[in-house]
Amino acid sequence: MLRHSHPPSPASGSDKEGLASLTPGGQEAPAAKRADGKLDWSITMASAQMGDLNAYRRLLQDITPYLRALAARHIRNADDLEDTVQDVLLTVHSVRNTYDPSRPFAPWLVAIANRRIVDGLRRHGRVCSHESSVENELETFSADEANLQEEAADAHVVRAAIDQLPVGQRNAMRMLKLEEMSLQEAAAASGMSVAALKVATHRAMKRLREMFRQRGSKT
Amino acid sequence: MTRTSDLIDLLVADAKPVRRLRHPAARASCWLLFAALVMFLVGLAHGVRADLAVKLNQPLFVISVAAAMATGILAAMGAFLASVPGMSRHWLLLPAPASLVWVATLGYGCLTHWVSIGPEGMSPGETARCFATLVLVGMPLSLVMLIMLRHVARLSPGPVAMTGSLAVAAITAVALSILHPLDATAMILLWNLGVAALYLSLSGRYGERLLSWVTQR
Repeated sequence: MLRHSHPPSPASGSDKEGLASLTPGGQEAPAAKRADGKLDWSITMASAQMGDLNAYRRLLQDITPYLRALAARHIRNADDLEDTVQDVLLTVHSVRNTYDPSRPFAPWLVAIANRRIVDGLRRHGRVCSHESSVENELETFSADEANLQEEAADAHVVRAAIDQLPVGQRNAMRMLKLEEMSLQEAAAASGMSVAALKVATHRAMKRLREMFRQRGSKT
Repeated sequence: MTRTSDLIDLLVADAKPVRRLRHPAARASCWLLFAALVMFLVGLAHGVRADLAVKLNQPLFVISVAAAMATGILAAMGAFLASVPGMSRHWLLLPAPASLVWVATLGYGCLTHWVSIGPEGMSPGETARCFATLVLVGMPLSLVMLIMLRHVARLSPGPVAMTGSLAVAAITAVALSILHPLDATAMILLWNLGVAALYLSLSGRYGERLLSWVTQR
């Protein structure tokens, strides 16, 4: 069990006196303070359970640094830490009906927090066992050969090469590859049959490949 | 990633007045009352075993049934107490002594049963009826306990669910000891703890997905 530096709840006997001072609806209740001036979490949670939204907000804001400190003893990564704190807050929210104001608040909170911290550590372990960090490798080689692919993909060069093709092949390439029309659409637009379009595209691709190969060998 | 202060705003906006859980002992008592009701109804429909009067004079039978009943009551108490965050998990050990006595009589019972009657002594018809009673008593008890202990799903459900299943198994064993002539304790334990283990492995595998679905709503 983890020890906490901010013992939040007084003995259960004094809770009842604090509860008696609350209005029935939990509205307009003054902030329940302990003798040392800190917020009394037990009484605040009791009024939050009755629907006092201000008390609930004060409680959640007050326990967050405490939860962060609890989690920080086990979790180093700042993102994981904040994830775990939020997870604890979500769990506190979903099981807040299980808190009995006649019992101290800290063991209740710590039990929930420990559970979520263990879950966080497990999740972290699981993710780490499947992932390895990769450095950003932005450098490339300065030699031209390493960058040929980028040159080949240059749209301007490709368009110029397509313009050198015979008319049928040029139209097929323009419609099917550059304008990304379907075979049917291209057939309707050009009046060519689907089979003829396929043949024209195939020949055009073959021709282009030869053209680029020749150009590559020249350079 | 959502900022923690934004999350607090969301939670506060979502906060409605909640009804506090009653004291765990009171909730365990409610469950035990329900169990008594189910046993009574099944007993009414089925009728007690013919040789109950004879059996009640056998010390081993009486010890076994009493130990099973004690296990059921203490396991239910332990599960409900330990399900509350901040309560000691040692409460889960509450049924341990009684369950040891129960398992000890069970082992002995199985042995004598095996030797005196032999394996062909169990007719499938009786076993099937046994199983039907088991499901009839066990299912509603498991279901009600699952609903009553649902808040523990986001904490550590494993040990609590196992102890809860032990309670269901023990109560079912008491019912079957009174209703059926066969010693079916082994089957009951296998069924109840097996179902609990299955449920736990499924919730372990799909729990997070379920929870993310719940929190998305």
